[in-house]
Amino acid sequence: MSSSSQKIIRSTVNGAVRVLLCALLCGVGVPASAATLVVHVLKRDGKPLPGAVVTAEPESSPPSPATPVKAIMDQVNLAFLPDVLVIPVHSTVQFPNSDAVGHQVYSFSSARQFQLPLYRGKPYPPVQFDQPGVVTLGCNIHDNMLGYIIVTAAPWFGRTDAQGAWQGRDLPAGKFRVRVWHPLLNEPREMERSVDLTGDGSVEFRLAKPLRPAPLSGRPRSWDY
Amino acid sequence: MGLLRRLLVSATCALACAADAHAADWDLALDLRAIDSDGRTSFLDNGLGKFRFDEDHEGLQLGRLRAAWTQPVGDVFAAHVEASTWDEDDKNPIDLTEAYLEYKPYPRAGWRSRVRLGAFYPPLSLENRAIGWETPYTITPSAIGSWIGEEIRTVGLEGQSDWLGTRRGQSFDVQFTGAVFGWNDPAGTMLADHGFAMHDRQTTLFGRVGSVQTDLTKPKKELFHEIDDRLGFYLGAQVRYLDRAVLNLLHYDNRGDPKAQSVELRDMAWKTRFDAVALRVETGNEWTVLLQALKGDTAINPFQPLLWDFDSQSAMVAKRWGRHVLAARYDAFEIEFNDHPNWAGSEDGHAWTAAWSYERDDHWRFALEWLRVESTVPARTVDFGEPPFAAETKIELSARYTLHGGF
Repeated sequence: MSSSSQKIIRSTVNGAVRVLLCALLCGVGVPASAATLVVHVLKRDGKPLPGAVVTAEPESSPPSPATPVKAIMDQVNLAFLPDVLVIPVHSTVQFPNSDAVGHQVYSFSSARQFQLPLYRGKPYPPVQFDQPGVVTLGCNIHDNMLGYIIVTAAPWFGRTDAQGAWQGRDLPAGKFRVRVWHPLLNEPREMERSVDLTGDGSVEFRLAKPLRPAPLSGRPRSWDY
Repeated sequence: MGLLRRLLVSATCALACAADAHAADWDLALDLRAIDSDGRTSFLDNGLGKFRFDEDHEGLQLGRLRAAWTQPVGDVFAAHVEASTWDEDDKNPIDLTEAYLEYKPYPRAGWRSRVRLGAFYPPLSLENRAIGWETPYTITPSAIGSWIGEEIRTVGLEGQSDWLGTRRGQSFDVQFTGAVFGWNDPAGTMLADHGFAMHDRQTTLFGRVGSVQTDLTKPKKELFHEIDDRLGFYLGAQVRYLDRAVLNLLHYDNRGDPKAQSVELRDMAWKTRFDAVALRVETGNEWTVLLQALKGDTAINPFQPLLWDFDSQSAMVAKRWGRHVLAARYDAFEIEFNDHPNWAGSEDGHAWTAAWSYERDDHWRFALEWLRVESTVPARTVDFGEPPFAAETKIELSARYTLHGGF
């Protein structure tokens, strides 16, 4: 695993820890009935779907988003690394370019539109993301580069592991809206479910359609100049 | 060509002056070949052989010396120049294959436009996807790719509009292309002259190509000239499914005036039109299937209308394992001259190609290719008193070293 992905994972974990600390310090407190929510995401054939983004937010009250983080999305070998990043609203993301060739990063997604004029290295300050939504990233020079930033207002979020599972810890009792997103989803409708938690609970999402094919990778540099 | 040369020089000066702090990317590559060939005298040496390297050009040969430079100008403009040396027989020791200024603004609401001004290839081949308009699958491109590299270049203005569906969560991107161009009136002359060939030599903008003749004092052909003062055009569309499948369509018409002549060039304006379709499908386990077809005609009218119909089809299968690629390809090609199928100018042939390539790192690429072309060309009898049928085989080893960087 590259150091940048480690940093991102660390920042996400740190963010979750900070949410918990903040909750404790602010006196909101974690109810004694704090529950664990386990979400399983399965492909149409029943096999687990790793890397799916899961968010959980209370239905009754407006969510208090997790503490913003400082994340990094690198560009290595003509690809965004990681290809998917989940961050709380008001977080910032730095977009270094570790390739020898210049990149020109853009997004025209409604959640955040921005452009980073052609660059190498790390010349620009981090970009802040203040609106929840899916931000699709591209490079105006290399059309095969495709990355996603999921900006969420949900207090609990993460990505499924190799077993297609994600655990949300210390959720209070109540109703939660659980959403699942993946860049290769081909579902006719949004993957969203309401879960009533009285104790530990679990919910399973199973895709109705096969995933779209994953991007091809590992091509030599000279291809698709 | 004088005007074209002046335009290119002025554009380069303007770019050099306008270039700001944006870093340029550059490439420098040397491609050497070891050849074993029983090819007939090459079309480059006034023969009717289908190869660039014939039986008199075996052993160690220069494949290509290539220098490329991309200079961003401001944020959304870039200049790109490709220069190459192919062989010592060309008019200039080093010459341009492409040189253009590109305008590529950021996408807005899913649409992106792109404009190119200068000299470049029309969006036609899905095979020539690698830097320097090379193919990463084989050393020698298909008969279609070989002909495009030999005779076709857009010297003009091209506009593209892309619908970037994949940036909006959809599976498809769509692209529309239109261009107007000049300075390509001799396009078609090589098809009528020596027919399709199988080679990787791209004719340079100010360079020349051999033509079939027994009188060797006649000059070789220069292809990028304006003779009739009429603009040509092409229209194209491309549909992409994620990064897995591409369908490309192009209609090309240089709108040549078949009666226009150039005494200086000893050539005419060839009225050349064609339709090209290409489909490339790639799978997750790195199989590639590439189908291409091209059909058109070219005409001149020096004293009576003369018309050549031409078509070619190509099917390739390739498999990539990491940095290794194995490819096999079949090409068919045909030219019919007027209603005289047995007269010189007609031909019928096909070719088999098998190639292995290994791109060791960003610098070294090695490739080994076996290529066999079988063709029936009546002109072999008419011009040289040889049998019309020839089977030519070539084995080629390529070692290419590339340096690249930014400054």
